[in-house]
Amino acid sequence: MITLEMLNPIFRQVFDDESIVLTRSTTADDIEEWDSLTHMNLVIALELGFKIKFALGELQRLKNVGEMLDLINRKLA
Amino acid sequence: MSADNHNIAYLCTGKICENGLADKVAMRWISPQFERTDVTFAELDEQSNRFANVLSSLGMGKGDLLCTFLPKCMEQFFVFLGSLKREMITGTLFSNFGEDALLDRLGDSGAQVLVTKRSLYKKVERIRPRLPHLRHVILVDVADHLADDVLSYARLMDAAAATFETPATSAGTPSVLHYTSGSTGKPKGVLHRHGSILQQSRTCREVLGLTPDDIFWCTADQGWVTGTSYGIIGPWSLGVTQVHYGGGYDAGNWMDLLAGEGVTVWYTAPTALRMLMREDGETYEGVDLPALRHICSVGEPLNPEVMTWAGKTFGREIYDTWFQTETGAIMIANRPGLPVRPGSMGTRISGVEPAIVADDGTICSPGEHGNLCVKQGWDSMFITYLNNPTAYASKFRNGYYHTGDMAWQDEDGYFWFLGRSDDVINTSGHLVSPFEVESALLELPEVAESGVIGVPDELLFEKVVAYVHFHRGIDLTAELELKIRIHVANRLSSLAIPQEVIGVPSVPKNKSGKIMRRVLKAQYLGQDAGDISTLEE
Repeated sequence: MITLEMLNPIFRQVFDDESIVLTRSTTADDIEEWDSLTHMNLVIALELGFKIKFALGELQRLKNVGEMLDLINRKLA
Repeated sequence: MSADNHNIAYLCTGKICENGLADKVAMRWISPQFERTDVTFAELDEQSNRFANVLSSLGMGKGDLLCTFLPKCMEQFFVFLGSLKREMITGTLFSNFGEDALLDRLGDSGAQVLVTKRSLYKKVERIRPRLPHLRHVILVDVADHLADDVLSYARLMDAAAATFETPATSAGTPSVLHYTSGSTGKPKGVLHRHGSILQQSRTCREVLGLTPDDIFWCTADQGWVTGTSYGIIGPWSLGVTQVHYGGGYDAGNWMDLLAGEGVTVWYTAPTALRMLMREDGETYEGVDLPALRHICSVGEPLNPEVMTWAGKTFGREIYDTWFQTETGAIMIANRPGLPVRPGSMGTRISGVEPAIVADDGTICSPGEHGNLCVKQGWDSMFITYLNNPTAYASKFRNGYYHTGDMAWQDEDGYFWFLGRSDDVINTSGHLVSPFEVESALLELPEVAESGVIGVPDELLFEKVVAYVHFHRGIDLTAELELKIRIHVANRLSSLAIPQEVIGVPSVPKNKSGKIMRRVLKAQYLGQDAGDISTLEE
């Protein structure tokens, strides 16, 4: 079971921001550096970190980090 | 107030109020959560007055230099206009810049004032010891001053007077500063003058077709020239209401915004339109945009298929426009009333004399390929590259500014883009220097050398591709590729991220050590590399 605490270091690394503290309601609008290009870095980091694969655009349809967490856990189940 | 006052900020605020539009909405600000705030021209005038007074209280004045480093937010507009009222040179930095990109720009400009957010200031703090000129940092999201030189915008604005007598400003007074990337060396500071407003205003009327009743939305970030020339100056100089949205790209939100705000003219970028084109068809089901008159586009050539898609989806024409940071305003464009030739840049704008010039300086005949140039002397022509007059002079030959683009003109005066004459990469409408990316890659201990090129991409127009020679014993793994991508994003910006990293045993160079990017490009595209007699063995 992946938790927010496990996602947090990945976000901090990708967005070069040690102050990021994720909640389920965090969105791209809450993190300055999160745009469509850095989003690809996040996708790769999550795929490598959790040994999963996302379909094209799968993450873009998610509304917030909570939905992202749920998707990752569904893939790992 | 003098009739020949060219002060951009006065002409966008005080003058509009004097013309009887004080109570008209200047800006409809839509937050990422879709909360709406209206700012009238009187309020825009007052807020920018206050900020001009803030600058006076800090001892800043004519010719001093202020930069903003802000995401989309309302303060960006008040600060930009207030700084110009104080006749300071005003630069805007893209909020996704990393440390190296910031250091290059803040260091070269010698900015004395920086306006930013607390979260972004962390990047600046790390390089601040190397910015001896930076005297004041103003944070827009803290309630109180954090230090003698790290100040609260709110506190300063509360203490500032609401009136400010903008000085009569000559057309030649320096105004807006934007940095642009070249194929070699550091980014260059493109400096404009207050007189540029004439061309920006004229093109808003003649190209964008703006009238006083319009609701205009320019999606460009204020960190780039489109975001200041057409996201601030041009429309407000005509008293036009602008919509500004604090959120990022989201097809559904964009459609809601276009429909809900009754946007009549929409200025966006081909990459954004191509992203919209890739969305599911259901995104556009039920979308009704009766107010929208037309769409304009800028940044890279617009593919004919995008024009066709937009025609079917929105039932509106898209007018492609062309300009550069250096030109300050639109030079060549498709526009209402001019028959569109899909794929063409359009025709010249009044007051501008573009030409196709051969390498020997002769003007090309219709149909001949050559360098796209503009006869010097147009109103929004940049006045120098800051601290680099040699580079500025090198751009002008025989009275023509050389844009670095290659093009041709047909018998009817339409221009057609061919490509760049240098190695600069145009990705998503923004120029990326291969030199800067190569320099960032060399900071990684795994990298021995690299060559960076731009190659055609369906979405981005061009994408960044890095050929990397790694040190002995280092293999390119998925983890290393991610490290490279994150490093480039954090040192430069997300725009510069290599979309492909290719490991190579060596990077082709000529006998004087210059990276031969055209050989790499030919290799990537499977084309003949041409003359390789100077290639180092």
